[in-house]
Order: sequence, then C-alpha cells, then structure tokens
Amino acid sequence: MFDTALTLNDLLFLAQGAGMTLAVTAVSVTVGTILGILFGVLRFQFGPIWFAPLTFLLDIFRSVPLLIQLVLGNALQSILKLGWGPFTTSCAVLSLYTAAYCTEIVRGSMESVPVTTRRAARSLGMTWGQDMREIVAPLSLRIALPSWIGLTLGVMKDSALVLWLGLIELLRASQILVTRLQEPLFILMICGAIYFLLSFPIARLGGHLEKRWSPHD
Amino acid sequence: MKIKAITIGLMAAAALAVPAKADKLDDIIGSGTLRCAVVLDFPPMGSRDAQNNPVGFDVDYCNDLAKALGVTAEIVETPFPERIPALMSGRVDVGVASTSDTLERAKTVGMTIPYFAFEMAVTANTNSGVTSFETMKGKTVGATAGTYEAIALEEQVKAWGEGTFRPYQTQADVFLALSQGQLDATVSTSTVAQANVKTGSYPNIAVVGKAPFDTDYVALFTNREEYGLINYLNLFINQQVRTGRYAELYETWVGGEAPNLTVPGVYR
Amino acid sequence: MFGYTFRWNQALQALPQMLDGALVTLQVAILSMVIGLALAIMLTLFRRSDSRILRGFAVAWVEVARNTPALFQIYMAHFGLGNFGIHLSPFAALLAGIAFNNAGYLAENFRGALKAIPETQARAGRSLGMGSLQAFRLIVLPQMLRIAFLPMTNQMVWAILMTSLGVTVGMNTDLAGITQELNARSFRTFEFFAIAAVIYYLIAKAVTLGARLVARRLFRY
Repeated sequence: MFDTALTLNDLLFLAQGAGMTLAVTAVSVTVGTILGILFGVLRFQFGPIWFAPLTFLLDIFRSVPLLIQLVLGNALQSILKLGWGPFTTSCAVLSLYTAAYCTEIVRGSMESVPVTTRRAARSLGMTWGQDMREIVAPLSLRIALPSWIGLTLGVMKDSALVLWLGLIELLRASQILVTRLQEPLFILMICGAIYFLLSFPIARLGGHLEKRWSPHD
Repeated sequence: MKIKAITIGLMAAAALAVPAKADKLDDIIGSGTLRCAVVLDFPPMGSRDAQNNPVGFDVDYCNDLAKALGVTAEIVETPFPERIPALMSGRVDVGVASTSDTLERAKTVGMTIPYFAFEMAVTANTNSGVTSFETMKGKTVGATAGTYEAIALEEQVKAWGEGTFRPYQTQADVFLALSQGQLDATVSTSTVAQANVKTGSYPNIAVVGKAPFDTDYVALFTNREEYGLINYLNLFINQQVRTGRYAELYETWVGGEAPNLTVPGVYR
Repeated sequence: MFGYTFRWNQALQALPQMLDGALVTLQVAILSMVIGLALAIMLTLFRRSDSRILRGFAVAWVEVARNTPALFQIYMAHFGLGNFGIHLSPFAALLAGIAFNNAGYLAENFRGALKAIPETQARAGRSLGMGSLQAFRLIVLPQMLRIAFLPMTNQMVWAILMTSLGVTVGMNTDLAGITQELNARSFRTFEFFAIAAVIYYLIAKAVTLGARLVARRLFRY
C-alpha cells in the first residue's frame, strides 16, 4: 500500500487544494460573519415580525442542500451575465449560507443576555451603543463563540462541494490524483487525514472554550 | 409610390435603429485571449499530464483556434455539468468540450458542425463475464451522466427490462467503478475506452466490442445568437480537415484513421 | 433581457418525476436516521463501557464523522470500500455514508444530553435490582432522547440535505439525481434546480413542523 506512485509534486498539488479549501472558507466565513452579526442585531432590535421577510430568506439557505444552492447560484450569475469565476460564485453562495447560520447564533446569544442586566446598564445612563459594546457583546460572545467555531468548521467541510463548480479544492485535487494514479484508497485516506488535521484541533479548542465558559459547570 | 416611400423610410429607420454592435468574434479578437471550456477528465480529449497541466486533443484544438484568430488561448477546466453555465456567464467564449450536438441542447446553445466523431465501445471488467454488447443484458452498467452514450444506454437497459444503470458525474469515476467491479461494463466513446485501457492503471478492464449506437458527433458550441462566431468556427473546422491538421491531431492523440465528419445523404 | 429565456413549461413537465425522486430522498433520510440513531445509542454505550478498545472505537468514529466532509464520507463508502472488493450500490453507499455521519453527530449530542441526567438516577435503578443495560434502557435512554430531541430534528434536516450528495456516487433515483439528469440532457440548469430547491425546502419544513407536533404530544411537561 505504501508502494505508491505519489510524488512530491503531487503532494504539493494536494497542498494547493487544501490552500484553496482554506481560502474559500476564510473569505466565506469572514463575509458571512459580518452579515450574520448585522442581521442578528437587526433581527434582535426590530423583533421577529418586522424581520420576517429576511428570516424567511435566510431560512431557505438552511433548508436547501448546499449543492443545489451552489448550482443555482452559478446558474443565476450566468443568467445575469456577471461573469463571476467559480471562486467568486462559491464564496458568494457560501457567505450567504454562513450568514444564515451565523444570524441564528448571534440572535440566540443576544437573547441569552438577561434583559434585567441590560436595563440595569441603561438605567446607569449607558447609551444603546455602550450597552451593546460593554454589556451585550462580551456576555453573548461567550455563548456564541463555541457555536461559531462549529459553524466555521462546518463551512470548511461543506466547502468540499465547490468542486462541483470546477474549483480545485482538496477533495477535487485528490480525485484528479486518483484518476491519474489509480490508488483511490491511499489518496482518499491522505485527503481525509488533511481534513481531519485542519478541523480536529480547532474543534477541540471549541469544545474546551465551551466547557470553560459554560456557566453551569 | 407611397409604399416605396414608406419602405425606404422604414429601411432608413431600421439602419439607424440598429447601431453597429461588436459581436463576440470582435470581442475575442479585441481582448487578445480566447477562453475555451475544456473537460479535463476525458482522455485523450482532455486530461492532465504528470505536472497536472492540461493536455489533449481538445486542448490542442483550442490552441489551433486561438492561433487562427491571432490571440492566445486560455484553457478553463469545466466539469461536464458546468460547461453551459460557464458559457452563459461569459467565463468562456467557446466550448471545446466533446459536446454531443443533441437537438435538446441546441435549444439552449449554438452548435457548430461536428469537429469530431466518436464510435461507442463496450468496456468490461474482465471478471464480469461481459464479452459483447448483448451480454451486458441483466448486468450493472454505467456511463458518464448526461452524455450521449449514457442516455442511449439507459434506454437500452429499460428496453432489456433487467439489469441496472448507474450514471457517474465524471468519466474517471466510471472507470474507477468499473475497475473495482462496482460496474460490470460501460459504454463510452471508443477513444476514451482505448486511452483508459492503454494507461494500464486500471487493472482487469478490457474493451470487448462495439456498441450498436449511432455515431456520436460532437460540436464546438457558443452562445446561440452569435452567428458571426459560429460561422467562423464552422469554417475553422472545415479548414482543420482540409489542411490535414485534424488527421494529424487524431494521429497524435488517438491513432489510426480519423473518423469521417460528414453524414452521407444530407446537408448540415 | 438577460439573453436567457426561462422555460418553466418544459421544467414543470418533469415535476411528477421529480416528486418521485423526493420520495426516494425522504426514504434515504428516514432510513439513515433510524440506522444512525441505533448506531449512536451503541456508540454512547461503548463510550460508557469499561473497555478501552470500545471507548477508543467510539471516540474515533465520532471524531472522524464530525471532522471530515460528508461528501468525503459518501465518496469513501463507495470508492474507498470498493477498493477492498466491498461493493455498495449507490443507494447503499449513500445510506451508509449518511448513517455514519448521523451516528457521529447524534452520539455527540447524546453525550451532551447525558450530562443533564444525574448519575445517581442510574445508580438508584441499579440498587432496585436492574442490570446496567436495563437501567440505561429504562431510565437514562428515554430522558436522553427527550433532551436531545431538538438536535435530533436538526440532524434529520441535515440528513435530508445530505442525500443530495448521492449524485457523486452514481445515485440517479433521488431528487438531486433526477434533477441533475434532467439538467444534463437539456442544459436548463436554473429551472430544474429552482424547482428542486423548492421541493427540498418544503420537505425540510414539513419535517421540522412534524417534529414540533410530535414533541408537543410526547413531551408535555
């Protein structure tokens, strides 16, 4: 099994694929998080009724398979003649996908901050902005961060689907090598190991933070 | 008299109303690059060499086309399902992607005259007991989803009334499944079958015969309304055959006598 | 306007075919959930067992399932196992891949849920003369399933979404497979996938609502 035709060059090719996976993840999570915080705060401020249209829209991203979203997003950009490459399209779709989940995380964590605490802050003369910055942000961050780490890892794993649009990320790079070298098991194992190594330490960190910051333990 | 005046008036109005608009052919020449959609897991038409660079018949064909246009070629890898969205969004100018010129597809994109023709061959796993097209009856067979041969094979399996048909998204997955014995046999273009068997990297598969499907003519494609470009492409294909370049490329990538690209008894 | 004319007529003609596919999708999702649930309970027991090997096995399963892409897992179930001469049909490979994934996530949910159930309860059961499995089955399991009901609903929705990955291993009877085949034949990508998206959305919503109704009946506090 270790008698392999895999060359250093091919490993480099895999590493490039992993780099693409990380790049797509980084862009999507950054944009998605900014949007998610924006939507989450808006939703919290305006209440569920005014926000209903956007809630419905974001819910779609959580109820339709990502593969379908990617294909649809790509078809849509092609109809609109935006001329986006697969990287831009993938990042756009994944960003909205991330934003949909992130909004829920932000909303949930903000709701977990006791109203009384916030009223106390306001009655001390803090403005809305101060209340948000000094009270809500630090308290809800503790609740949100472990879920957010989970979301980031989820997006990284789901980003494997962008291979459908022709982007050569980690899984696609492995498939290309499998086609040429015909060692499916060995190469797929390497691919799986890379995913695992990227994801596992961060997952552990998330679990650790959750345990440390959990108020009931 | 009156009618004539109106006619002239209308013609003048039409001439004014339609400003000279640069078409895609102009755009390509103006931009200096020709972007071709090529499928790269489809040897010998498109694949990657040991440095993972694109090579193959379609790659060379795109380079020739670029040379004729006096521009540089850019190969854009597109998986089979992404060929059309890539064109529609203007990410590529032309598809040089072994695309069968079905009437269904011609409703959506503009097809040129055929630039290549495939014979269909049956490739079987040597342990499956499949020795010809007929012996595929009742077996598990597969092909690349949405291709000409996949559609024909699926209909054949239905007609036989036994056996299973499985589409895979890439040609590579079909041969991987075949070599693992997940599939007993596949129908693919004979060039692809020969190329895959020749690599020697798939153990226990062999080409066992021809499939009695019609010849699969494949065309270059671009946007349906780009008549100027389609005209140019048609002439280019004609010239490739006329100058012997078609036969030369065929010899390089496939070997043997290049298939005839005309259908006797009918105009295109 | 965009140089693209929508042809909904053509796409809607395929609706009955796509709805048939939706049934297969639902079938795979439900089966994968049942199998995943059984496996997750097994993994939970393994994690609580005294055997290092069993515990190690359970931890490895959960971590691999949660730290690699589902697409990878399904691909592996088909082409990875195929390398050993184990041939799963696309249906079986898809089912195995999703069940593997479900089991990992559910086991992790159960671990969290177990924290909320006091150890003393099981001990009380044991002192009433129950065996350890009996105590788990009668005392811990029902509470665990109740606490983990919401995450289980989420996982069910995930399972539905994951079925769409079957196309990569030759699945052509589920909703995504049928949609992709229609698309490959006609190149009317947007129309077919938009209809598929609507169907997936409706299935996911139906499952969520159904689970809520069930929860209301089952867990009246």
